[in-house]
Amino acid sequence: MNRSSRDSEQPSDESGRDMRIAAALAPVDPATTDRDYWRRFQNRVMRAAAPELARRRMLLDLTVGDVLAGWARALVPTAVLAAAIAALALIEGWPVHLRPDGSVTLEEVLVAGMESETIPEALNRAAAEASVLLAAARF
Amino acid sequence: MSLSRSRTTDDGDLVRSARRGDEGAFGLLVQKYRRAAYAVAYSVTGSREDAEDAAQESFLVALERLEECRSPERFAGWLMTIVRNRSKNLVRRESLRETDPVPMSASTRTPTPDREAERSELQAVLREALNGLSEVQREIVLLHDLEGWKHREIADRLGLPSGTVRSHLHFARRALRDVLGAREIVEDGRRSL
Repeated sequence: MNRSSRDSEQPSDESGRDMRIAAALAPVDPATTDRDYWRRFQNRVMRAAAPELARRRMLLDLTVGDVLAGWARALVPTAVLAAAIAALALIEGWPVHLRPDGSVTLEEVLVAGMESETIPEALNRAAAEASVLLAAARF
Repeated sequence: MSLSRSRTTDDGDLVRSARRGDEGAFGLLVQKYRRAAYAVAYSVTGSREDAEDAAQESFLVALERLEECRSPERFAGWLMTIVRNRSKNLVRRESLRETDPVPMSASTRTPTPDREAERSELQAVLREALNGLSEVQREIVLLHDLEGWKHREIADRLGLPSGTVRSHLHFARRALRDVLGAREIVEDGRRSL
């Protein structure tokens, strides 16, 4: 008997399964010795998958408004506070003795001891000292 | 509308719903492919316990990576690739861990009374017979003759030409018959049920 004719003699179901081989392979299926096996398998997988499924549902429920509201809850109070501090600093100035670390800014160092004057006043003073300016221009 | 209610069984719809966290849809996918996933894992690991671990793990990995499934309609093939890879990783890990000479039969978790011993013996013969096949042959014969997948389904889902599937199946069956002796193994299989 050749192989092809031997194969064709094997009993098979509508899907073409070789029922003898299927019977031989049956012990591979855990349900042959444990009828409840696949239900427990399913339950274990679903239990382990629950957090990920919940996370996906939660992401889906989030709307653009929710996201913006979430940002707003943190950002708006911070922005309001920062604006209030900035406004106070602009209006009142920021006296050195009120700074937390008592530091002096670079600008303060540069203008220390100088009398404040407007740009036209400075230009007029410069015109009066034209020789100094001329010397400065040459160098 | 939730698939839990509509009970749509098209893989594409199920995957899209599972992506949105639909428990019913994911549950149907698990139900539909749990046996095939187990069979593929078994064909790689050759161990029931490892196959169980790898199959379960694969469903969870698949859920976490559902966005990477570019063709939801071809979910089964994508899942089987994950199962195969997870199973290979598991075998690799096991082989690295196995430094003490534990016999194969000791890998079963339950004690073996008489009937159990007979079953273990049958499983050992079966395992030996399956070990004689290539991995793809084992996969195909288990999916076809144990799980009832048709040639075309196997070809589609494993990404193999239909002729190749038939050829692998033919050689796998012939090898199994040669090793097992069809009549004896059928009797043993029936007794174990």
